[in-house]
Amino acid sequence: MPEGTYLDAVHAALRDALREDERVFLLGEDIGAFGGAFGATRGLLEEFGAERVLDTPIAEEGFVGAAIGAAWVGERPVVELQFADFVSCPFDAIVTVAAKTHWRSGLRLPLVIRAPSGGGIRGGPFHASSPEGWFVGTAGLKVVCPGTVEDAYGLLRAAVEDDDPVLVFEHKRLYRSLRAELPGGDHRTPIGVARVVQAGTDATVVTYGGGVPIALEATAELAAGVEVLDLRTVWPLDEEAILESVGRTSRLLVLQEASRSGGVAGHVLSLVARRGFELLDAPPALHAPPDTPVPFAPELEDAYLPSAASLRVALGELLDY
Amino acid sequence: MPTFPRPPRCGWRSGSSLTTEAALDVPSVPGATRLELLRLILLQRLFEERTLTLYRQGRIPGSVYNGRGQEAVAAAAGLALGPDDVVAPLNRELACHFARGVTVAHAFRNFLGKATGPTFGRDGNMHFGVPERGVFPLVSMLGNLCPVVVGAALAFKRRGEARVALTFLGEGAFSVGDVHEGLGLAGVWQVPAVFVIQSNGWSYSTPVERQMVNTNIAERIEGGWSIPARRVDGTDALAVYAAVRAAVTRARAGEGPQAVEALSLRMHGHAAHDDARYVDRSLREDYERTRDPVRRLQERLRLDGVPEAKLEAVRRAAEEEVAAGLAEAEAAPAPDPATLEDGVYAHPVRRDDAGSAVREPLGSGRCRG
Repeated sequence: MPEGTYLDAVHAALRDALREDERVFLLGEDIGAFGGAFGATRGLLEEFGAERVLDTPIAEEGFVGAAIGAAWVGERPVVELQFADFVSCPFDAIVTVAAKTHWRSGLRLPLVIRAPSGGGIRGGPFHASSPEGWFVGTAGLKVVCPGTVEDAYGLLRAAVEDDDPVLVFEHKRLYRSLRAELPGGDHRTPIGVARVVQAGTDATVVTYGGGVPIALEATAELAAGVEVLDLRTVWPLDEEAILESVGRTSRLLVLQEASRSGGVAGHVLSLVARRGFELLDAPPALHAPPDTPVPFAPELEDAYLPSAASLRVALGELLDY
Repeated sequence: MPTFPRPPRCGWRSGSSLTTEAALDVPSVPGATRLELLRLILLQRLFEERTLTLYRQGRIPGSVYNGRGQEAVAAAAGLALGPDDVVAPLNRELACHFARGVTVAHAFRNFLGKATGPTFGRDGNMHFGVPERGVFPLVSMLGNLCPVVVGAALAFKRRGEARVALTFLGEGAFSVGDVHEGLGLAGVWQVPAVFVIQSNGWSYSTPVERQMVNTNIAERIEGGWSIPARRVDGTDALAVYAAVRAAVTRARAGEGPQAVEALSLRMHGHAAHDDARYVDRSLREDYERTRDPVRRLQERLRLDGVPEAKLEAVRRAAEEEVAAGLAEAEAAPAPDPATLEDGVYAHPVRRDDAGSAVREPLGSGRCRG
């Protein structure tokens, strides 16, 4: 298999889904001739035409609503939000209409919403957020955050084939920084299942998305054996995988790029406090940015975002406890 | 590269008045359709009178809403659709459900919170849809479903299917952003969507003049979005039927989105608790006397030469249908709390012993009923 970037994997997943299933079509801002703000849909208009790669006006409530309507009558729409921050605009369509419909009517809504999240590109408060936590705990939604090239392909393919609304938060810093062998066209990453990407016995780092490469980099040269658990799906949580890993290591650090009080980490820590208390040899640690929006200036953003260096410090404290 | 046709240019027009019946081709509405409209309007009227009583008796939890005075719009728009079309009715459109073949018993099961109702007891009153009848479930955030029907219509256009998607919008929803976005998309994409505007004068207690400057919504839709829009008397079932039927026909023929604004008065409060004291009493009395859609259609049918006995038979049949439907619904089982978490997902995710994802077989996530 050829090598490619995380972005190549997203592009390939969209292309293969469009090729294999006529019900799949894409809609979003500037995804046609322009190929998307990050280039994920480049060339797809030429291959599949304007009726399957639809440029939309700046109307996220409108086109996410329209995707729900298309899913209602049997299509499999894949929406691109230009930046994950903009998911606040169609929030109502997602949590009111998409999330609750199956539970209260039995109607399936196979719908995918892709959104580039995360910082590291000096995007500031409106182009660098990690809003996945807003949807964690929302019944009826599935939320996935690929942290590897393989999962960028496999989770998106699985999301498109899923019969529930799935939010896919891709990490924009990984688009061009991660490179690996691209998976084959039949590869799927199961939704709802975490993966141990690095085995260890001294501590567990639970993370996802942009946290995965940071955790691997931070622990590569540590003497201690740190297990890295990539959640991959952040809702519903793979609770057993978390508890099993903590059971092996007895020390837990949760790493996320979303600000510390919002999001996935709180759910993981709550789970371990409730069901894993007796597994622990140290208080569980949280490594996450402060409770502010994402700042712009490089000095501020670098201080705000978790890094391999900052994670090593946090891990050192946990291992020394 | 396929392209979508450009929407036609429309000039701004002002001072529109009610479209006359002659222009609406009312004479061509067949006699059988007229009687069916009466049946549907009566079903909604009698059903909602019954639910109000049941609510006051404490037999319906939550609240009840009704569409008294607006039933003609619901019935006519529902009946104007073809069997393969889809629709998203709102609060005041029970007759539209009945026009789609949803039974009175099924609707009552929702009001009573029964396990075998359309929402399995998970939602109440008219907050329901019936997917197998092409009816999308209502959500309370009015305006949300405007872009949803546009998306359904987009799918029909993509697949080359001669189907139409219709939704209702209160004039109150014209203050909601989703509606503006949905209409914009419908126009740009030129999809077979039909918007029926229930202009009933009040959004809860707020009169239309405090909601918008230009209260002529048909004019705004045509001038602002280049979507052809007609304004009709919403208490005249035949006028609404002719207008919506024409709009549905044009949409189906590929002429793009269409709109009909039906003027009426909500002859009841927003919900059961609301006595609508903010509506001038003389206005309500005048409407009850001159614009009650039930009475207007009955008078029209008398002019058509329908014998009194026939009109009486239609009413009696509707009364019996409502009574029988209620009895059937009351006998239905209550939901079992143990099933509460069923159907959150169509495909629940869980792991097998080896740690791999297990998918429920297709269909198992679907709720009963």
